[in-house]
Amino acid sequence: MDYDYIINTAIAITKGFKVTYSLLFTTLLLSLPLGLLIALARISKSRLLQYVAGTYIWLLRGTPLLLQVFFIYFGLPAFGITFDSMTAAIVAFSLNYAAYFAEIFRSGIQSIDRGQYESADVLGLTYTQTMKRIIIPQMAKRVLPPVSNEVITLVKDTALVFGIGLLDTLRTAQIIVTRDFNITAFVIAGIFYLINTLILTLIFNRLEQKYSYYYD
Amino acid sequence: MNILSINNVSKKFGDLEVLKNITIDVAEGEVIAIIGPSGSGKSTLLRCIIKLVNIDKGSIEIEGKPMVYRDTEGNSIYSSDKDIRVLRKKMGMVFQNFNLFPHKSVLENIIEAPLTVNNAIRKEAESTADKLLAKVGLSDKRNSFPCELSGGQKQRVAIARALAMNPAIMLFDEPTSALDPELTGEVLRVMKALAEERMTMLVVTHEMAFAREVADRVIFMDLGEIIEQGSPKEVFGNPTHPRTKAFLGQILR
Repeated sequence: MDYDYIINTAIAITKGFKVTYSLLFTTLLLSLPLGLLIALARISKSRLLQYVAGTYIWLLRGTPLLLQVFFIYFGLPAFGITFDSMTAAIVAFSLNYAAYFAEIFRSGIQSIDRGQYESADVLGLTYTQTMKRIIIPQMAKRVLPPVSNEVITLVKDTALVFGIGLLDTLRTAQIIVTRDFNITAFVIAGIFYLINTLILTLIFNRLEQKYSYYYD
Repeated sequence: MNILSINNVSKKFGDLEVLKNITIDVAEGEVIAIIGPSGSGKSTLLRCIIKLVNIDKGSIEIEGKPMVYRDTEGNSIYSSDKDIRVLRKKMGMVFQNFNLFPHKSVLENIIEAPLTVNNAIRKEAESTADKLLAKVGLSDKRNSFPCELSGGQKQRVAIARALAMNPAIMLFDEPTSALDPELTGEVLRVMKALAEERMTMLVVTHEMAFAREVADRVIFMDLGEIIEQGSPKEVFGNPTHPRTKAFLGQILR
């Protein structure tokens, strides 16, 4: 085994980490709150909001993520909106993941017992206070497993940005493999994804543990 | 002055008339037990009083102020949201299934509404909560979570939580029906102590011994109507209506 080659390859691939990580964390930062807003719109009393949220979710879940990335990067300039490739990727990923998170949050909110709303209501809490202080905190505990699932999918989906020429981890590895006729770079990239999903799994396990101080 | 006046209240769920022309006046300090077979509309009545459910016909006044009134054509009109908020705050409710907030400690459950709704100062809210916890005999459970409590303890916390908002009237919706028989006593004792402090109470219950011993008045409901009412002595000792007799005959057997 040529250890020097492995180490040099690994160092070369780290250049791709930055793209993968920025996309991953920015997407999470934007899509989680956006998903919550869409979920709240979807269960609101306003028919219009329900309809808008429903249509949004249908469109974003109903088309390939890569198509959405293409649309925002190549399609929007036709309407005078131009993004650099990283911003385009972040926008597409955030909008797309928000749709999935919205459905997870909605199911979590709707799984909370009606009695919780009723007791908050008779105590005088407004709808907003009830959501913020009673329902959403309980929802958060229940949705941790499916959210963890989505986040792990997201780690791997970031590799789709090769489509608009971004040099993420997988694309960087692919360039090295093509150049050297040696698949070591793919193995290293695979290990990179595995380590990241492992770290995220552990973080989510910790969060679940943190919430285990109560059960209902 | 009456704390609560319910006048000719009717409510339908689809074609089903769950409440038919219910009229009840509740005087200050009065304890009323509402009894009757399941499906008689007892719980719906409580839920209408605190506006978890809206009524179709009739009027409801709290301390003489209308929550829902009849206009000149006899239609029931609800007061403004702002007025309703003020009136609902005068009522506390205890549910069959406790409905404590599972993610909050006992103390946090009790101070939640005082802090969020009344903008109380935390220190004062906590000291009120501690007094209420002592009253319901759960001072040692202050920092426990609902999942760590027995059903009877949960219900006592729920009573303390309702009392923390300093209501003028307490509504109890079958407070002991979800409890194991050996746990009903501790909840009923707390309710009895409240009654002795002259808290105005409307109690939907299947606990006939409690109704007989604590209530000033017993109302028997069946199929959405008040069939008979009177002192416990009258209703239990000498029921006049055949349906009351049949019900009591069944339940007291």
